[in-house]
Amino acid sequence: MLIKPTSNVLVAVDNISVMLRCRELLLDEGHRVRTAESVEEALDIVQRHPAEVDVMLLSLGFPDNRSLRLIETLQKARPEIVVLAMSADCEAAGIEALHAGAYDCIHEKSKAAWFLAKIGAAIEFFRTRRQLRNLRREKQSALTDMTHEENFLVILNSLTDGLVVTDWQTNIVFFNKTAARLFGLNKKQSHGRPVSSCIQSDDLLSFYMRAIREDGSLVTLMSGEEPIIKAGEKTLRVHVDPVRNDAGTIIGAAALFHDVTQVTAMDKLRSDFLSMVSHELKAPLSSLLMQISVIHDGLAGDLTSKQTELLGKAKDKTKGMITLVNDLLDYRRIEEGKSVQKIESLDCGLILKRTVELMRPSAKDKEITITTDIADELPSLSGDRGGMEAIFVNIISNAIKYTPKGGNIGISLNQAGKDIRFKVVDDGIGIPREDLDRIFEKFYRIKTEQTRSISGSGLGLSIVKGIVDAHSGSIHVESAIGKGTTIIVSLPVGT
Amino acid sequence: MKKIVLVDDDVEFCEATKILLESLGHEVVLAHDGKEGLAKVRRDNPDLVILDVMMPEMNGYDVCVVMKADPALRSIPVILLTGVDKAFFQTAYTKHMGMMTEADDYIAKPVEAEELADRVTDFLGKA
Repeated sequence: MLIKPTSNVLVAVDNISVMLRCRELLLDEGHRVRTAESVEEALDIVQRHPAEVDVMLLSLGFPDNRSLRLIETLQKARPEIVVLAMSADCEAAGIEALHAGAYDCIHEKSKAAWFLAKIGAAIEFFRTRRQLRNLRREKQSALTDMTHEENFLVILNSLTDGLVVTDWQTNIVFFNKTAARLFGLNKKQSHGRPVSSCIQSDDLLSFYMRAIREDGSLVTLMSGEEPIIKAGEKTLRVHVDPVRNDAGTIIGAAALFHDVTQVTAMDKLRSDFLSMVSHELKAPLSSLLMQISVIHDGLAGDLTSKQTELLGKAKDKTKGMITLVNDLLDYRRIEEGKSVQKIESLDCGLILKRTVELMRPSAKDKEITITTDIADELPSLSGDRGGMEAIFVNIISNAIKYTPKGGNIGISLNQAGKDIRFKVVDDGIGIPREDLDRIFEKFYRIKTEQTRSISGSGLGLSIVKGIVDAHSGSIHVESAIGKGTTIIVSLPVGT
Repeated sequence: MKKIVLVDDDVEFCEATKILLESLGHEVVLAHDGKEGLAKVRRDNPDLVILDVMMPEMNGYDVCVVMKADPALRSIPVILLTGVDKAFFQTAYTKHMGMMTEADDYIAKPVEAEELADRVTDFLGKA
């Protein structure tokens, strides 16, 4: 005897006698049957046992169009369930059910054979559809099976970066579609030919040679300065890696070409903007400062004390604006990762001494006493000179700004283990506890009665933080309101 | 009385600086672009030249290079004025450029009257 596969059928019928008859017929056929006396119960079963309903036999006789709404809901939530509608009037009610998504409609009073044939067809439909779905899923998952060579091609050709692989003699052995488009390569003419004869670039060959000839670790080290080449209108960033066989021997090189045309254009725009800001804003401000200074110093005629006072304020404001523009420019440079311009061996003591001398006049204006304790013969620090100066200038000028007239500032620089430690202690107004965490945020300025008259961009300390981070250092702040602030910057001496 | 040629395309800056330098007892000749500046340096043979860097026609670096290559002008001290920020980026670029052009000193703009006066006095002494 043929063993028929069993299916899961849910019978949702309002008429009990019809339901019992259907159930009996289905059980006789060897199917697993569940029954529901209401739409709600049917929905509940579907939700609780999602894998146990293949076909639903649904009476259209439930009140308030509930049957139709259930069909619609199932279409959305559980589209794999095949709904077979059952009605006393298939011509009228049945058509609506089909539109809503039912597979077919049978008459309530169908003969057993007819009923079973329809159920059989519905079950068959369910199985076919399930198979189709499984096939599709298999096909998708095949992509994860990397043993298929075709898939490599599909993947490599889908890259938006160009890829050109050469053998150890720099003859082209493979290129993907993007590379073909970028350089106008084609299989016939380019395969096996030297890369230098197929791609016009003075530098490209040397990148390949470097990858093939040199030790791999060295190439990785050099990848920091990824070279840029031009291909027609496009600007491309190139990354070349050696290709090794299982034994670790270099058998060729693979170059990735990333299109940076737009990025480069943006960079240009940004640096244009920077020079525009620096020239268009700074130049007139510089001019203004000189004019005010000359008048303020009485060189253009005698002034009343009121005029001197007002011009003094105007001069300070102008200086504030210049600082703001400078800070903005510095900040953009740091964001662009250019805070560490050039690493060199630095004598921090000397740089600090010079910076302090630079700051003394503004401290003197406020009758602030600066005492320094700079250790002799500190180890030299590898870092960026401009960056170091910016750290010193920003922290010391903050100390001067936020210390009232007649205050004291102590500056020290000494060695602490493997670090060089720069410490500035003032007896100024201090930083409120709730602001301590935020002072390194850009544009953050503490707003109190005392700070209102102090001008600044709120960028100084975030600039400092950026530079300290870039030098793998740390910065520490302690402060008490009315007592003063201590800032400690620790910078590793370096290797 | 010493003679100074001041070259800057910013007219107001020139006017104000002229007053400052005159107050130190010097004679000041103004020029507003590099070419004009170079011409006036040749004509007047000054004791000091103050050159802005960013200027039309001929920039300050180029004027300085021409002066230092000319045996007749080489001994005239040159102070370059640059718009590059003092604390931060003066170091690498400007110092480098300054050395290449053999300028005798450079001052980052914005400069305050007092500082400019001090630097000029360094070269010319008190009038």
